[in-house]
Amino acid sequence: MADETKTPGIPETPEPAAKPEASAAPASGEKPAAAAKPAAPAAPKPPAGPKKWEPTGEIAENVPTQALKARFPEVLGVKSPCGEATLLLPKARLIEALTFLRDDGACAMDYLSDMTAAHYPVNDKKFEVVYHCYSLEKKHSLRVKVQLDDGEACPTATAVWPGADWMEREAHDMFGVVFEGHPNLKVILLPDDFEGHPLRKEFPLGGAQEAMIRTNRYGKPVLLPDDLEEARKALKEPRNVR
Amino acid sequence: MSADSTQAGSSPLQRVMETREVELNMGPQHPATHGVYRALVKLDGERVEALESIIGYLHRGLEKWVEYRTWGQATPIFDRLDYVGAILNCHGYVGAVEKLLGVEVPKKAQYIRVVLDELQRLANHLLWLGTHALDVGAQSMLFYGIREREPILDLFEAMLGQRLLQNAYPIGGVRFDFPKGWVPVCRRLLDELPKKVDDYEGLLTGNRIWVQRTKGVGVISAKDAIALSLSGPTLRGSGVNFDVRKAMPYSSYGDFEFEIPLGTNGDVFDRYLCRVREMRQSIRIIKQALDGMPEGELKGKVSKIIRPPVGEAYYTVEAAKGQLGYYIVSDGGEKPWRVHVKSPSFVNLQGIETMCRGGLIADVVAVIGSLDIVLGEVDR
Repeated sequence: MADETKTPGIPETPEPAAKPEASAAPASGEKPAAAAKPAAPAAPKPPAGPKKWEPTGEIAENVPTQALKARFPEVLGVKSPCGEATLLLPKARLIEALTFLRDDGACAMDYLSDMTAAHYPVNDKKFEVVYHCYSLEKKHSLRVKVQLDDGEACPTATAVWPGADWMEREAHDMFGVVFEGHPNLKVILLPDDFEGHPLRKEFPLGGAQEAMIRTNRYGKPVLLPDDLEEARKALKEPRNVR
Repeated sequence: MSADSTQAGSSPLQRVMETREVELNMGPQHPATHGVYRALVKLDGERVEALESIIGYLHRGLEKWVEYRTWGQATPIFDRLDYVGAILNCHGYVGAVEKLLGVEVPKKAQYIRVVLDELQRLANHLLWLGTHALDVGAQSMLFYGIREREPILDLFEAMLGQRLLQNAYPIGGVRFDFPKGWVPVCRRLLDELPKKVDDYEGLLTGNRIWVQRTKGVGVISAKDAIALSLSGPTLRGSGVNFDVRKAMPYSSYGDFEFEIPLGTNGDVFDRYLCRVREMRQSIRIIKQALDGMPEGELKGKVSKIIRPPVGEAYYTVEAAKGQLGYYIVSDGGEKPWRVHVKSPSFVNLQGIETMCRGGLIADVVAVIGSLDIVLGEVDR
């Protein structure tokens, strides 16, 4: 299948492996020159390691970003290619800032539209927890992020928005992010005895327990396109990929 | 038993008369749970003391799966989330990618999307009405709902080739214009449908049994509903005016005149009324879109290999169940780095405990029906 050419841009182990893909994808891409300013000088140094995930675009401003920046000076603006207001909060003051967003008259972000996490194995801080807040009254929205190390706990937002309950449980299932102070942090979507956190990048698509090579009903090995290299090695004798 | 008998004394009569809490599992194979949803209910007699939702039986890992596919290959996958409202799911995803790419969708494609979206909403609400009424005990409604949904599915089949999982939109626009003869059939359907909706309301809205089963049942206040992030008719039933089509107009929804039906009490009956009235508004929107259909291209300028710029986007649409959001992250490659679906069913299901606590066990079924959950979307 077409996937053969590029094993997914996912480093198997964060540091040593799979550097070429991770750095090649953004640098050699067909990016129009507009947003490529930071990438251009980074391109001629291949041994520097995998390229960190760094969004392109401009930092957008709206009422809540200004209010939050005025109140919390350590807040950082994050670039967004499509003009969405995004802020990076310090973990220590996360709940304070979220409560401020909810209660402040100018922000009035009373509605938590979405909450999730994402995994960036090559970044210094490997996990991001992302909140999408919205104000039903003022009709503005804001994305708020907090960065975490592997194994670092995130304070729970259930006291601010009770609706974060299941969303945090889901993020805990999928990424293993622990939400401190969550009233009921147990598995929600996965089976109770599931091992691993499936949306982490090192988790294989076929599942941890599944063998790299499956056999079809005629007993012939079937290679999963994503584990092709591994599977070839294990198979010794390469066969046709179905 | 032994612990109870020590508490209740030794007389057989006392033992018979004593009450104790019963734990009851509804589902995952219960016909009224609309799929593999399991509710662990703690009962005091017939009163619900506590309700715990146990979900995940239909988790397929779609968010993981799309990370191994290209941006374009992911569109049919999201049809499988809410399989009775597939077009709306597809719209949310392609909208998110278009937002990140910065593609402008031509006006004509936007209008076609509106027509198909609203038809899908009608189909969804008709099926919901039938199954919800069936749960509460009005069996004939199911036949009517399915009967009216059928011509809508036929319209989808005529245009998109599929009835349920249509893979309706490519990134950047729509695949096809309306085929020959499609619009008159659609118009005829739209002319007939309001009368049918009147019939349903005649069957249910004033029906004494229906009102008794639904009024004052499964109440959630506006404050709780907002705090729990509910959305869609479930939120609007509590009187909160939040509809993505009005609040953040996408795909030219700003061009059309329509109202957002609101409830007042936040009970099952109000959520029912909201959805039924929404059907009338959908019909209104489709008529306007067909009347004002502009000429032009069907697809914006999208390269064959899609590589969105490095960054993230969040795009929401008003799906049949509520606010459906896609949070997508691109690393500049051909494949998504992360796609997260904020599925309305999943979030709305959080409200079920608040709605059911203190009510009767028979009302749990009515509440589940009124939430309009689809387990494919809850578990993803």
